[in-house]
Amino acid sequence: MSKYRMITPEGTKDFLFEECAARRQVEAQLARLFEGYGFTEVVTPGIEFLDVFDAMPQEQMYKLTDGKGRLITLRPDSTMPIARLAATRLKNHSLPIRLYYNQSVYNANPALSGHSNEVVQTGIEVIGADSRRADLEVLAMALEVLQCSDAADFRLELSHIGIFHTLMKKLSLSDEISEELRGLIESKNYPALSDRLAGLGNDPMLLSLRQMPRLFGGAEVLDRASRLFADPDIDRLIEELRRQYQALSALTEPRHITVDLGLVNRPSYYTGIVFRGYLAGHGETVLSGGRYDRLLSRFGADLPAVGFGVRPDALAAALLQKGIVSLPDPSVLVCAAQGCETQALRHRRRLADQKLCAEYSVYTTKEEAEAYAAERGIPRLDFVTPDGIVTETLAEGECL
Amino acid sequence: MKPIRIALTKGRLERDTVSLFERIGYDCGELKQKGRRLILPIPDAGLEAVLAKAADVITYVQHGVCDIGVVGKDTIMEYGGSFFEVVDLGFGKCRFALAGPVGKDFYDGYHRRVIATKYPNVASRFFAEKGMDVSIVKIEGSVELAPLLGLSDAIVDIVETGSTLKENGLAVIEEVAPVSARMIVNEASLKLRQQEIEKLIGQIEETVGKQEERI
Repeated sequence: MSKYRMITPEGTKDFLFEECAARRQVEAQLARLFEGYGFTEVVTPGIEFLDVFDAMPQEQMYKLTDGKGRLITLRPDSTMPIARLAATRLKNHSLPIRLYYNQSVYNANPALSGHSNEVVQTGIEVIGADSRRADLEVLAMALEVLQCSDAADFRLELSHIGIFHTLMKKLSLSDEISEELRGLIESKNYPALSDRLAGLGNDPMLLSLRQMPRLFGGAEVLDRASRLFADPDIDRLIEELRRQYQALSALTEPRHITVDLGLVNRPSYYTGIVFRGYLAGHGETVLSGGRYDRLLSRFGADLPAVGFGVRPDALAAALLQKGIVSLPDPSVLVCAAQGCETQALRHRRRLADQKLCAEYSVYTTKEEAEAYAAERGIPRLDFVTPDGIVTETLAEGECL
Repeated sequence: MKPIRIALTKGRLERDTVSLFERIGYDCGELKQKGRRLILPIPDAGLEAVLAKAADVITYVQHGVCDIGVVGKDTIMEYGGSFFEVVDLGFGKCRFALAGPVGKDFYDGYHRRVIATKYPNVASRFFAEKGMDVSIVKIEGSVELAPLLGLSDAIVDIVETGSTLKENGLAVIEEVAPVSARMIVNEASLKLRQQEIEKLIGQIEETVGKQEERI
C-alpha cells in the first residue's frame, strides 16, 4: 500500500515557492482584470456527473462512481459546468450574465507524454448576449490578458467557425465526411486534404476548400478568402471578422492580431467567432475561446454565449523566466528572551502593522537567533527582553 | 534571430532531407560531418537541425522545443498528436500492410485472430474500422517471426519491397495505408514565425514538386 507514498501521480506536481507565487500573482492579476470589467467569480464542483460533459471524449476523463453507482468525473472543462450553472441557477438573472472562474481542470492525457493532467484554467463567459459588441468585449479582454503576460511576443488569432459550417452545408456533405475534412483542415494536412477533396468531385467550392488551411496571416487573408469563396453568405462572415480585426488592431500593434480560417478546432460547441492566443516560448495554445450559442440549450436555457479560457501557468512561466516574482522577504527577526514571548508577539504585530515583514524566532538565545538571521539574510534582529527591545543591524556580508 | 529548429528522424529520412536541402541550395556541410553531435547548424538557411529517433521527433515538435520535424507517416499514425502536417516530402515511401502465411485464408473460420505488430495503435484502428475483434500482441523486433512461430495469425507491419515477407513464406493480405516522410510544424511556431516557416515550406514544396515531375 505504501509503495507510491513518496511521489505524485503522473501529470501532477507540487508548486513550490516562486512557482506558486508566480501562479498566484498571475491569477490575482487576471481576477483584477476581469473584476474591473464587472465580472463575478463562480466556483463549480470539482466532480460532476459525466452527463454534463457528454460532448467530450470519454477517454480523456477521470471517472468514478458515486454512492448510487452513477458515473461522475473530475471536472475536465469549466465552460460546460458554467453553462449548466447559468441555465439552471440563473434563470431569472438580468442579461447578460458576466462570470469568471479560476479552477483546476483534469484531463487524462496519454501516459509519459509530458503533459499536465491537472491544469488551472482561468476564464470568462458572457451569457445572454449575441451581439458583435459582446464578441469584441471578450476579444479585447483576451488581448489584454496576452498583453499582461510579460512574454517576448504574442499572437491573438481569429477565425469564424461559421465559414466551415456554411461550406459544408452548401456542399451538402455528410457529417462523417465533414468531420474528416475538419480534422485535415485543423491539422493543416495540405496533401491529404487535396487528395480527399479530389475524390469528392469538382465543385469550385471544393477547390476553394483546399486553400482553407493556408488562409492564415494578416488582414490580406480576408481579402484572399473573399475572392476565393466568392459567396455572399461567406462574405458576411468574413466582413464580421474584418470588423473585429480592425477593432483589435486599433487596440494593439496590428502584427499581434492574425487570422487563421483553418482554425476549425474542437470543442464542437462553438458556433461563431473562435480565437486562440499564443505566447513566444510556449509550444501550446495558451488561450482559446469562441462563441457558443447552442450549448446552454442542452441544459434547458436557450441563451447565446461567448467566452474564453487561459492557462495561468503559461503566463506564470514568462514571469518566472524574467525572475520578477516576489516571495515573502522578512526584514526583521523578532526574538523573545525567556518569558517575553507575548511581548515579542505583540511587537511583531506592530511591525507588521507598519507593513514590515517580520518573522518570529523559534530560537531562544540571541546567538542562535543571530546565526539564523545571518543564514536567512534577515538584516535586522529585534531582541525582546524584560528591559526593552534591543535592535541590532546585521552586517550585509553575513547574508548567504 | 533565433534559428528555426528542425528535428530530423535519424537514418535514411535524415539523409533524404539533407539531399533535399542541398537541392534547395542550403549548405549542409556541418550536417554531413556531424560526428557524434546531435544539434547542428545550417547557417545560411537560419536553421538548426536536431537528430532524433522518429517518435521523439513528434514529441519535440509537439512540446514546441523544435519548430519543425521530418518524420514518417507510420510514426505519425502510431503516435498521433497535435501539430500541423504540412508537406508530403515524397521520400521514405513504403506502406503499412496486413501480411500472413502464404496459402492460408486469413478470413476463413471463426476463431479470434491474433495479430503481431510493432504498431498496436495502427493495427487496432485498422481492425476496429472493419468491425473485426482481434487480439493484438506488441512485438519489438522482427515481427515476421510471430506467425512463423505460431504466436499470431498475421502481422501488421511496414512493407517496402516485400522481400523479407517472401523469404519467410509470408505475403501481403491487404494494404492498410501508404506511408511517406512528412514535414510537421508546431502549432504555436507556425503562428509566431509565420513568414520564415512559410518561406521554408514554399521552398520545400517547390523542390519536392520538381522532383515528382521528373519521376
